[in-house]
Amino acid sequence: MGQTAWGWLIAIYLFLGGLGAGAFLIACTIEWAGIRYKYEFCPGTLVGAGISGLVVGIGSLLLILDLGAGKTQPWRILWMFIHPTSVMTWGIWILSIFIPLGLLYGLVELLSQMPSWDAWLRSKLPWFKASWRQVKRPLTIIGALFALSTAIYTGILLSAVGPAIPFWSAPVFPGVGIPMLPVLFLVSAISTGMGLVFDLVGTIALPEIIRRYPSLPALHLILIGLEALLIGLYFLSAYKLGGAGAFAVSLAISGPLSLVFWLFVAFLGLFLPFVIHVYAIGAGQHSPVWGIVSGVGIITAGLFLRYIIIFAGVPAFL
Amino acid sequence: MGKVNITRRNFIKGLAATGVISLIVPSLSRRKELFSIPKEIAAKYALIIDLNKCVGCGACADACRLRNHLPEGQSFIKIYRKETNGREWFLPVQCQHCIIQPCAWVCPVNATYTTEEGVVLINEARCTGCKYCLVACPYQARILNEKTGTAQKCWLCLDYVLGGGEPACVHACIPGARLFGRKDDPNSEVAKLIASGKAVPLHPEFGTKPNILYYVPIE
Repeated sequence: MGQTAWGWLIAIYLFLGGLGAGAFLIACTIEWAGIRYKYEFCPGTLVGAGISGLVVGIGSLLLILDLGAGKTQPWRILWMFIHPTSVMTWGIWILSIFIPLGLLYGLVELLSQMPSWDAWLRSKLPWFKASWRQVKRPLTIIGALFALSTAIYTGILLSAVGPAIPFWSAPVFPGVGIPMLPVLFLVSAISTGMGLVFDLVGTIALPEIIRRYPSLPALHLILIGLEALLIGLYFLSAYKLGGAGAFAVSLAISGPLSLVFWLFVAFLGLFLPFVIHVYAIGAGQHSPVWGIVSGVGIITAGLFLRYIIIFAGVPAFL
Repeated sequence: MGKVNITRRNFIKGLAATGVISLIVPSLSRRKELFSIPKEIAAKYALIIDLNKCVGCGACADACRLRNHLPEGQSFIKIYRKETNGREWFLPVQCQHCIIQPCAWVCPVNATYTTEEGVVLINEARCTGCKYCLVACPYQARILNEKTGTAQKCWLCLDYVLGGGEPACVHACIPGARLFGRKDDPNSEVAKLIASGKAVPLHPEFGTKPNILYYVPIE
């Protein structure tokens, strides 16, 4: 099997980081498109914004749990801010800015959808006159930049190990110099964010959600197709590297990780949601059950995709 | 005329400016000092492992484990059993003390550094045990010490070396497969072997320019 230094905690963190960043980006998109203001109650922005800071925060706690001396002597973590050649240093900056922004956006969204809480807060803070929409404009713009950074940096974190683990630094296409993981993690982040916000929570809270966002199933369909294509290309380019890269691919598609890959990633996370969305486009509506199945499938696949990438990370040196 | 009006506002401004300048100026001169250190620090020592002689007995790994008080089963030297054309051979691997150091770049706390002797060390007072270096080392030569929670690796027994001795693994090697010496002294055995071109780095394609070299069977 692959490297043993990083395990489940890192895989779950990578997943939660992507999920939170994706949820934030989806909430921002609903906000910017103005759909947020067509209805009194908007579960998409509420869940997307509300969950983003929380899940990325939980993921970051897992990172701390994975530390050695930094766990028992947390002040050592402060040194992590000052070595810019390390992608982990980029990460700690990005996370320490994104998590508060996500929590703040969640709070603002909650207040703007809860008139009684809003009135109570404004009675306590009479000097605060700005509307929540005004607050959200800069918040979503800056926050979206950091959400994008969160999703992309997790891929760079792994691909920066370079020749040590060819599977992680495999290029977007055989022979191209750009690593695939940052791209794949970004697409997967947006896809899991959509799975959570629209498929899972959206269908539970508002079964007619598809009528609010008529182009949504088609968009999501494109995203799922793109993700499948990227995973295929990723395996192809890693396989073309030969040696440890090819061995890692064989672990994932025909070796000990293959059951997880074909069942949880390929079937539950890509094939099934694809079919459900094709059906939803035809029917003009998600049935709540299928919406939930699709959402759970996409989110589970996001987790197991990272699990496979972490555990199939075979070092070049064997 | 010429009277300086010191208001409280100006006083605070002045104080702040003095503070900023006194912080920035020394750090700038210090920066210059840091940048003047050459990027590739020439190694003074080299270790050459003769794969013709290594029998895979594990004496080096045991000596390393005892010397560094590592728990049973852990060592800074790993011995890989290999086979080519039906012939068995052994490959002992430890930190290669590279000149180009992926482990140092990825370290978020900048805990990996190089001594004047070209020996790569870890500042364990800083290490958080994030294991990024364990993952990024192309030779997989680092371990996490569960007791201290920090990354550790071969340090070429620098205390012995600076005291005029040799690393514990060199001393312990039963078939005499380990040759340790000064790289910068042209009359030393290691320098001659390096000059002859028979001592080569392991996996040169990693591009890290190791200071540990291997004398490979010529067949």
